[in-house]
Amino acid sequence: MLSRDYRDIVGGLVLTLFGAWVAWYASDHYELGRLRRMGPGMFPMILGFVLAAFGLMIAVPACFRSGTRPDIRVWTPIFVIAGVSGFALTIKPFGLIPAIIAVTVISSMAELRVRPVSLALLCAALSLIAFMIFRVALGLPMPMFRWPF
Amino acid sequence: MDVLNNVGLGLQTALTLTNLLYCFLGVFLGMLTGVIPGIGVLSAISMLFPITFYLEPTTALIMLAGIWYGTGYGGRTASILLNIPGSPSNAVTCLDGYPMARQGRAGVALFMTTVASFVGGCIGILVLMFFAPVIAGYALNFGSADYFALMVLGLVAASTISDGSAIKALAMVVLGILFGCVGADIYTGTPRFNFGMLQLTDHINLIALAMGIFGVSEVIASVRRVHTGEILSQSVGMKAMKPTRDDVRRSWFPMLRGSLVGTFFGTLPGTGPSVASFMAYAVEKRAADDQSRFGKGAIEGIMGPEAADNAAEQTSFIPTLSLGIPGSPTMALMLGALMIHGITPGPSLVTEQPALFWGLIMSFWIGNVMLVILNVPLIGIWVRLLTIPYHLLYPSVLMFICIGTYSVSQSVFDIWLVVFFGLLGYFMRIFDWPAAPMLLGFVLGPLMEEHFRRAMLLSRGSFSTFVERPISATVMAITVALMVWGVWSAIKQKRRERAMAGV
Repeated sequence: MLSRDYRDIVGGLVLTLFGAWVAWYASDHYELGRLRRMGPGMFPMILGFVLAAFGLMIAVPACFRSGTRPDIRVWTPIFVIAGVSGFALTIKPFGLIPAIIAVTVISSMAELRVRPVSLALLCAALSLIAFMIFRVALGLPMPMFRWPF
Repeated sequence: MDVLNNVGLGLQTALTLTNLLYCFLGVFLGMLTGVIPGIGVLSAISMLFPITFYLEPTTALIMLAGIWYGTGYGGRTASILLNIPGSPSNAVTCLDGYPMARQGRAGVALFMTTVASFVGGCIGILVLMFFAPVIAGYALNFGSADYFALMVLGLVAASTISDGSAIKALAMVVLGILFGCVGADIYTGTPRFNFGMLQLTDHINLIALAMGIFGVSEVIASVRRVHTGEILSQSVGMKAMKPTRDDVRRSWFPMLRGSLVGTFFGTLPGTGPSVASFMAYAVEKRAADDQSRFGKGAIEGIMGPEAADNAAEQTSFIPTLSLGIPGSPTMALMLGALMIHGITPGPSLVTEQPALFWGLIMSFWIGNVMLVILNVPLIGIWVRLLTIPYHLLYPSVLMFICIGTYSVSQSVFDIWLVVFFGLLGYFMRIFDWPAAPMLLGFVLGPLMEEHFRRAMLLSRGSFSTFVERPISATVMAITVALMVWGVWSAIKQKRRERAMAGV
């Protein structure tokens, strides 16, 4: 237990700051126009203020109640996100199969346990499934392998 | 005999070989994603969304819809056998379904909930058939102010009725609308919030956003948390499924009541199967003469919610198809599929695309029958599926997310968007910000802005247009009433908590 609900205090303040920034950015960069003929900046600016108000409504009551510690994990999101990023980095230069291996190998480390045999089998199976579905059945123009150098 | 003609046309469309095939594919995949905990219906639909580019719009919609109501059947399997909801709308089924399984009555529970799902689904489809065209007929007279008011109602309903903090949900709606603002302005073409990135001028890709917020963040939250494989080992063959006479006698009224509750909450834009099944459980508990049986394997406690869940899944097509306003994020993706094929959703859809509209509805009947076949004789296969360990499952899900996003327009930028929204989705889980209202806001945002600006243009800058027109005035009044009810029930809840703490 925490003495204050810090999760909602921080979250609410983040929303308030973001809303205020959007309102400022919209009014600074785009034409606001008038209510009878609105420019591109008016609608986002109004929403920015509304979001900032909601943020305060979340943060202020949270100062007066106790909270629980949120469940924050570090390694799991890093490996999962890195897996998807690995796919993004390899798909254009190397082709589909290397990209599949990248996402599978990196993301399965999120379990914090390496099972080499089942991982190799999984990579092979997923490559085959992807080939059958996306190339054979749907005929997508995606090269399986590519050598950029 | 207008209805008969339409039904005939619908059957003609739905019974072609291609449509039957994709209907089966849809309900099969829906079953699959429903059975396996850790893959939600939204991530399933967004993973398969790219396939629909290569299909006729009707076929595409039949398949996507099949995934949607298929999960309603599949989701209860894990609820009953593992005490883990396969999808959020089946969470209440755990309360009485798992105790039933522990008493050795898993087969009965699975069989009876299939019946409940089928009955709920059928009642939902009947209501959809008769009401959607009527509502669409009225909606032809709607103006911009009315549309804006209806969308506000949908978003407020989604935020106040669902569980959790209403203010957080409303804040997420606003955040979603802001993400919808990114890209070229509809009236002037000015690129907004693109920060010099050319790809953002063309708006944020809906698929990338949905895959990141729901798919990736769901995987992050489930890794090392979901443990499949710890299944209650007992026979769920045909013999174990036979209900006693007492079970049947107890099930009639809960099934019908649940269907009615589900029909209502499905039609209301913003609420859906999850709200409906919770409400149905509450109704059954109140209606029962012996409340103490609930939570210990009362069959009423699984029949009501399951019927409500499936009825709501069918009737949620009413606002989507007759008004063009998606009542849930899943419906938003369906409308996205229509728009990609150049069909504008709205009240004119029923009259301009009768083959699509009635073909889709008729496919619901076929799909529901297919699901009963998939569930009763073939249940053993699905139960075995629950033993696949999650550490093999989630890399496969991520792979489908990546390829699915990339194949939409061969764009690496879209995968980076998935990364961005995946991280955002994870932070949203930490802060306990709900993701569904955000997606709803994102989809409705551009439509809202268009109607808001047009309504203000027509009224020469006066806000009174929203209360002067009878339709929008009524809708606005309902919205205000909902908000007052939301605040009031929050205060009551707090008082009760304080009273409990005092004791």
